[in-house]
Amino acid sequence: MADLRHDIPATTGAGAGEGLPGDPFAQDEPGALLVRAHALLAEHPVADGYSGLPWALRYLPWYDLELGEAAVDTDVPRMREGHVGVVFWSLHLPEGPGGDRATAATLEQLDQVRTVIEAHPEGLRLVGTAGQVIDARNCGRVAVVPGPAYAAALDDSLGILRVLRTLGLRVLTLTGTAWAGERGLSRFGEEVVREMNRIGVLADVSGACAATVERTLALSKTPVLCTRSAARELRPHPANLTDELLTALGAAKGVCMVPLTAEQTGPAIRDVADHLDHVRDVAGPQCVGLSGTYDSGAVHPRDLADASCYPHLIAELLRRGWTEPELSLLTWGNVQRVLRSADFMVRAAQRRA
Amino acid sequence: MTSTDEVRSLLREFPVVDGHNDLPWALREQVRYDLAARDIAVPQNEHLHTDIPRLREGGVGAQYWSVYVRSDLPGAVPATLEQIDCVRQLIARHPADLRAALTAADMEAARAEGRIASLMGAEGGHSIDNSLGTLRGLYELGVRYMTLTHNDNNDWADSATDEPKVGGLSAFGREVVREMNRLGMLVDLSHVAATTMRAALDTTSAPVIFSHSSSRAVCDHPRNIPDDVLERLPANGGMAMVTFVPKFVLQAAVDWTLAADENMRAHGFHHLASTPEAMKIHRAFEERNPRPIATVSTVADHLDHMREVAGIDHLGIGGDYDGTAFTPDGLSDVSGYPNLLAELLERGWSKADLAKLTWQNAVRVLGAAEDVARGLQATRAPSNATIESLDGAV
Repeated sequence: MADLRHDIPATTGAGAGEGLPGDPFAQDEPGALLVRAHALLAEHPVADGYSGLPWALRYLPWYDLELGEAAVDTDVPRMREGHVGVVFWSLHLPEGPGGDRATAATLEQLDQVRTVIEAHPEGLRLVGTAGQVIDARNCGRVAVVPGPAYAAALDDSLGILRVLRTLGLRVLTLTGTAWAGERGLSRFGEEVVREMNRIGVLADVSGACAATVERTLALSKTPVLCTRSAARELRPHPANLTDELLTALGAAKGVCMVPLTAEQTGPAIRDVADHLDHVRDVAGPQCVGLSGTYDSGAVHPRDLADASCYPHLIAELLRRGWTEPELSLLTWGNVQRVLRSADFMVRAAQRRA
Repeated sequence: MTSTDEVRSLLREFPVVDGHNDLPWALREQVRYDLAARDIAVPQNEHLHTDIPRLREGGVGAQYWSVYVRSDLPGAVPATLEQIDCVRQLIARHPADLRAALTAADMEAARAEGRIASLMGAEGGHSIDNSLGTLRGLYELGVRYMTLTHNDNNDWADSATDEPKVGGLSAFGREVVREMNRLGMLVDLSHVAATTMRAALDTTSAPVIFSHSSSRAVCDHPRNIPDDVLERLPANGGMAMVTFVPKFVLQAAVDWTLAADENMRAHGFHHLASTPEAMKIHRAFEERNPRPIATVSTVADHLDHMREVAGIDHLGIGGDYDGTAFTPDGLSDVSGYPNLLAELLERGWSKADLAKLTWQNAVRVLGAAEDVARGLQATRAPSNATIESLDGAV
């Protein structure tokens, strides 16, 4: 709770000075909104759907995430300041799915995830289930979920999917392979989704073609994630979702995690907020989430430069009239629901076996 | 009490730890991991050397399942993961008979429960694709030994059955050994060149194993262990697990195999060719030259010699079942171990000796590797070395 006192006066743009200074009832005053944002996030921390940190750390000769690390966008102090409670660490490679070496490269990424977390036991904790996310939070640790990885890592093998799950993989991006490509899911691709449901690997359809998204939504017994998708209606990026797909995602109770990138959402906080408004309105408040995409090479909107900046975004949404229940779903509740649902399916499948 | 009864009662207390069994590869090749098509809960004598009834009959209490993949094809890492998945599926399918084991304590627990401790060993450094991160991934998945090479050299270690290249272990190869020590993964020196054996013994701080190798002094084949290396096992604390493969243990079979290979090449075929025409040539050769047969006594000769050189505390058994086409008489499948033990009893081995051979040495060696790992982990971080950084451009 110490965080609450932190950066109350940080960004006082235009509008500061209107109303009485320090008046707690002046709801539109930016400082007051930020106070509310911090209070809300302390209750409902951020579940961040995508971070490229493992790769970004790979070639740093030395780093200490607990002390703070200026060479990257993410470290423990800034995650605490931004109220990040759980973060998905991407196993994607900057050079794309990786061809022949995709499996080996994914093993190395998983090893990197484990090594980084073991080196920062006071700040980070590797988690596999929704329950462990809560445990980590209760212990004051940021929970780290390994994934998404590229589908190519499977090398077309369900056995490899199971082995990667054993190593902690929790999310798989269904693009870039023969069975999840331009023509949607093949029959083998459908079998992959069923096996993912059985063992608790979530499907990520960000960047997948419409046919794959629709088929995965129809087939998957657990909610589907889009780890990096905003609204196509507002910005024509290929990974952004059309209103049609957003509606379908909403009907299937998946989660569209809106990335904080200039490319996909726009250069300012209000652009990101526009996307969040749109996704909430089309897909529903139960189907919208956040995706920091820090350390993935993306350019971020002004005032959202690193993992400490989430309160600014929440303050903007408060200004737009998002209710606290809506915000609690956006930051935390929706992702928790998806993880819990996947965990439940795993247990149900074990009962049937 | 007959020697058979004595052996049975001994095996109940000290069952066999076998260092190498290629059942996963056989399942991959024969039925593409369709475990229902080769249900090892029932006898599979037609297709396999290994099934649960015969493991029970053979008194097996722990098995290192090999997650071998071919070293002459690309894609070794994905294939190795599939092999690991196969072992995991086997264990999950037969919970009453198999128990996943990661430590010496797990082996003891499995023995107490009357289940077969199931460990994994990777057969060849090609399975890590020159990556210590991948090596750690394999450890995390349960792999507890890695043979440094298979039949071909890899970029950092020389094989016994390939032309010398790096002259033992390269700098990165030594780093692989050190990282295995840090993890608690046993360094397996079967299949490697004698130069590699010596380099690994110079580098390692934990006991090594030979998961399936016999004595070169008894039968001169590169897959076997020279005496100067066996002599170093007491100081190292490791063990040599004798293998049964006839073409490695019986000199007549070694010579016969060389002649058969030469015959194939003389007819213009690769010596491992298995096309119908090649098989015809091979059958004709076999009719003219009957295949020499190894026996239980052949294997016992190796153990007698290895015992003299390395000592009783450094011996074990690694049958290589389902990894070899031919087996000795009396050791034709995994039910045969009691025949070997009866032979040794008759040769004057004591029950205490046999207990070391079958169970105690192998459990001690894995436990010792764990102890070394605990010590190293307190002072050494995971290695991020790359083959490029240590050996220059590959």
